[in-house]
Amino acid sequence: MSIEPYSEDQRDALQEITNIAMGQAGSSLAQLLDVFVVLSVPRVRIVEVDSVPESVEEMVEEADCVTVARQAFYNNLRGETLVIFDHRGCKDMADLMGHDGSLDENAEEELILDVSNILVGAVLNGLGEQIETDFGFTAPNIMARSVPVDTVLSKETLGWSHALFIEVNFSLEDRGFKCHLIMLMPEESIELMRQSLDKILESF
Amino acid sequence: MSLPVLVVDDSGMSRKLTIRALPKEWDIEISQAANGFEALEAYHDGKAHVMFLDLTMPGMDGFEVLETLQREGLDCFVIVVSADVQPEAEIRAKELGAMAFIRKPINSEKVIEILSEYGIYEH
Amino acid sequence: MNADIDSQSFLRFIVDRVNVGVVVLNKEMEVLLWNNFMELNSGYSSDDMIGKNLFESFSDLPKKWLEKKIKSVFILKNFAFTGWEQRSYLFRFKHNRPVTGNIDYMRQNCTFLPIMNDAGEVQAVCITVFDVTDTSIYQTKLKEAMGRLEEMSIRDGLTGIYNRRHLENQLASEFDRVRRYGGILSIILFDLDHFKNINDTYGHLAGDEVLKSISSRLEAVLRNSDIAGRYGGEEFTVILPNTDAEGAAILAERLRKEVEESEIIYDGQKIPVTISVGVTLLSDNIENHEMLLNQADTALYYCKENGRNQVKLFDKTMTLI
Repeated sequence: MSIEPYSEDQRDALQEITNIAMGQAGSSLAQLLDVFVVLSVPRVRIVEVDSVPESVEEMVEEADCVTVARQAFYNNLRGETLVIFDHRGCKDMADLMGHDGSLDENAEEELILDVSNILVGAVLNGLGEQIETDFGFTAPNIMARSVPVDTVLSKETLGWSHALFIEVNFSLEDRGFKCHLIMLMPEESIELMRQSLDKILESF
Repeated sequence: MSLPVLVVDDSGMSRKLTIRALPKEWDIEISQAANGFEALEAYHDGKAHVMFLDLTMPGMDGFEVLETLQREGLDCFVIVVSADVQPEAEIRAKELGAMAFIRKPINSEKVIEILSEYGIYEH
Repeated sequence: MNADIDSQSFLRFIVDRVNVGVVVLNKEMEVLLWNNFMELNSGYSSDDMIGKNLFESFSDLPKKWLEKKIKSVFILKNFAFTGWEQRSYLFRFKHNRPVTGNIDYMRQNCTFLPIMNDAGEVQAVCITVFDVTDTSIYQTKLKEAMGRLEEMSIRDGLTGIYNRRHLENQLASEFDRVRRYGGILSIILFDLDHFKNINDTYGHLAGDEVLKSISSRLEAVLRNSDIAGRYGGEEFTVILPNTDAEGAAILAERLRKEVEESEIIYDGQKIPVTISVGVTLLSDNIENHEMLLNQADTALYYCKENGRNQVKLFDKTMTLI
């Protein structure tokens, strides 16, 4: 299946609405942890299935030991989100929530799921508001726990040829904390998103 | 002479939305910049008596533009237009000399309210 | 009858009777709704609960945690979840697998949904409680089975120590680790002397017994961080992280001696066994883990040439085979 790439305007529009959605998610995270969240420019692109694991690997610097929460969202547009925390991120988050190193494994997972759910909910609700879509969500689960980043997707069977890959990063000031949120949407969603973007672009 | 207004945002769509939100009858000369470096260059060319400034941009971001303006004692009326809606972001931008803070998505009522408040535009 | 009223009463009926717990709480943690599922499982009726603080009736709830969770839904206006895998249950309810379950209480997945008014403010939080006891039992069994399978896939069928594939993976990743972060790494490769004779003289079952016996002796000699396995027929490999050539040679010699002095008895007969041991240290000129194995193999070859039952450390004067 061949996919027509997004035009420069379409890509720009998607990046900007993601930017706005990310801002709302960052604000939620800031409220939750009571810190200032540093936002960077989101990246959007259409990728081939083979390059997805590589694209994920590229994002994460401290790639040796990551924990990943996965959550699906659905409406006409559907896809999955991965929120990737490195080892340092998990620890920092626990500290900020007042658990100074005393978390057992389940409590840490719970915290990771909570934070990723908040980020995913805020980003997708923010995105949904702008493209007039009300998303449903599945409960998040831990997809991988303390594994090298290159193994995260290697075991998964990816049943599509192209995906829309949206990447948003959150980091905390004065701390090593970094987490990466990836939204992956399969082919038919790429086209539906294109229509939504065109609608936005036509409106001015 | 028309008032030089600079719109700074890495997104072309976002610049368009900002420009569209400006009052129609306002006598201005609009320039655009896609990042901090371009913004400062345009400022030095005298194109920015009023600046609408995004915060998250690649290369040089909005905070850095504000810092530079403040450090060099430059005179420009900066209105931040930002997707970063943390209260702390607004506080920081204002500490760095921004006069106002508009949350994205931008709307024209808010723009007119701010411009009128500072007597930059009367309608 | 008015269609609207009709659908309202349908909804009320469904919320009450659906096989899922539905609880609505206000900011003060007072119960606004308590459906039939909750009544049946908790023993408290809706009349008992409505208007009361939830913690009054359920002192065993994780109060601090739950308050925080509910508060986050009010502030962030976002749904929240909890899953049985992290927190087995929220409400301590009996489950319907009393005989076959082997678990204490009903496993639950819960969802916390913000209920908003027209102004977009969160008025209340709806908690839905799903009984996932069956799923959790299957999942746990499946996970155990998968764990066993995974363990089996890295073990050698006869001796129970690691197999060749796992050894190669481990060696490759140790190699990468040293190349990336520095450090030292040695390996041992050893081979049973005249194993074919053992098979021919005492039979294949005796041969198998020897391999098993050597494996268990090997495991006894090693330290926790060492990784040992059966590399091929009668060939074994040991990966020694953070070990220099001298340390590796000492360990190799201990191993050689242990085997030589061991009494392997099969069918009433004592079978004499010795091993030849090649040792090598990872040096800068080695490009990959195969090359490292190759050096150990070369050292092993020199043992064989030199009369067997000995340890040799690879050095550059040896010609690679």
